[in-house]
Amino acid sequence: MTCFEFRRLLLAHPRERTTEQEEHVAQCSRCAKLAADAAAFEMRLEQAVLVPVPDALADKILLRQKMRPQARYRLWATAATLVLGVALGIQLYRTYDAAHENVDTAMAVGTNHPAVAAISFVLDHEPELLIQNRSDDPSVMMSAFQRLGLKFPSDGVSVRYLGKCPVPGGTGDHVVLTTPYGHVTLILVPDYPVGSRVMVADRNMAALASPAGKGGYIVVAQSPQTIRQIERMLAS
Amino acid sequence: MFARKESRFESLVRACSPELYRYGYWLCRDRFTAQDLVQETFARAWKSWDDLRDDKAAKSWLYTILRNEHARLFERKRLDIDDTQELDELVDRSGRDPAQELELRDAVNTLPPAYREPLLLQTIGGYSCAEIAEIMNLTEGAVMTRLTRARIALRRADGSVAARKGGTR
Repeated sequence: MTCFEFRRLLLAHPRERTTEQEEHVAQCSRCAKLAADAAAFEMRLEQAVLVPVPDALADKILLRQKMRPQARYRLWATAATLVLGVALGIQLYRTYDAAHENVDTAMAVGTNHPAVAAISFVLDHEPELLIQNRSDDPSVMMSAFQRLGLKFPSDGVSVRYLGKCPVPGGTGDHVVLTTPYGHVTLILVPDYPVGSRVMVADRNMAALASPAGKGGYIVVAQSPQTIRQIERMLAS
Repeated sequence: MFARKESRFESLVRACSPELYRYGYWLCRDRFTAQDLVQETFARAWKSWDDLRDDKAAKSWLYTILRNEHARLFERKRLDIDDTQELDELVDRSGRDPAQELELRDAVNTLPPAYREPLLLQTIGGYSCAEIAEIMNLTEGAVMTRLTRARIALRRADGSVAARKGGTR
């Protein structure tokens, strides 16, 4: 075996070693040194890719697996959801019409729209975040409110969760409020523009993306009415 | 019969979920999405459980499902990933040099996916070149070339970081 062949194999699979490689390394001090370097590098690489695994991951998977409905019930569940969805859609449409507010659908604005993404984030990730009971520095949140020219809604409102969340272009302040109208999520984005004011209804939730200051904010709640209440609180 | 099937499935979840999560994380670089990927992988595995003839092939089968799920996800949407959000949680606290480890993680992150994927299958999954070739539907020679290039790129990045650190002292 030549040094070239040895090194090629060393780079492709450093953990496996053939008899030929062993024989070569016994005779060639330069390749022996390279092999030692490679072994040290592999150890570092292995440690680097071993990212921490969430606690009780296997239990969560097994639990969710058990909670999945059986196939024969799934069709009924889908049909029931569809009927309920249509009924809710009609109801929401009437309510929006009465309030003379233009409410878009996720399909109309696209799934990458910040308001739609915020609804997905709230539904898919917020329950787990709330369990973590995290609380970042409140002064950072208050500074974001100030930079956006908003007031913290104080009447009967408390902060349930305070953290960060990904937004297009960077991170935003993720605030979950307990309000008289139920849980409301605020995503404050003081540093990145969020585009023009858009109200969206998707997955039985509503979200408003609104520009403010040099950036903007997103409110996610159960209904557009709640969002309007919160919007009034933020402005007053 | 069903109980035995459930017990085999549970053993597989317990044995493979950590490494599948890590592999999923490096594919999408988002811990929530990685969890969803692993969950969906096992859900699909359970649905097709009766097709699994050989328990020894189960791990490779799961890796293949996860790869496909990830590809399907990225067909649907592009993820907005906030790397800084992850940094705190990725820093290891077991006494290793976290700065050095983050530099190496950054270097792994910047590898083109075609190089990163076989490297992760080898490092996290412990697969041989022949097995990676089968999972990725490539020739063994192509896998070896990609692994070689991946390591050369990582060593270069690692070397330039070391040189930069040396220069600033």
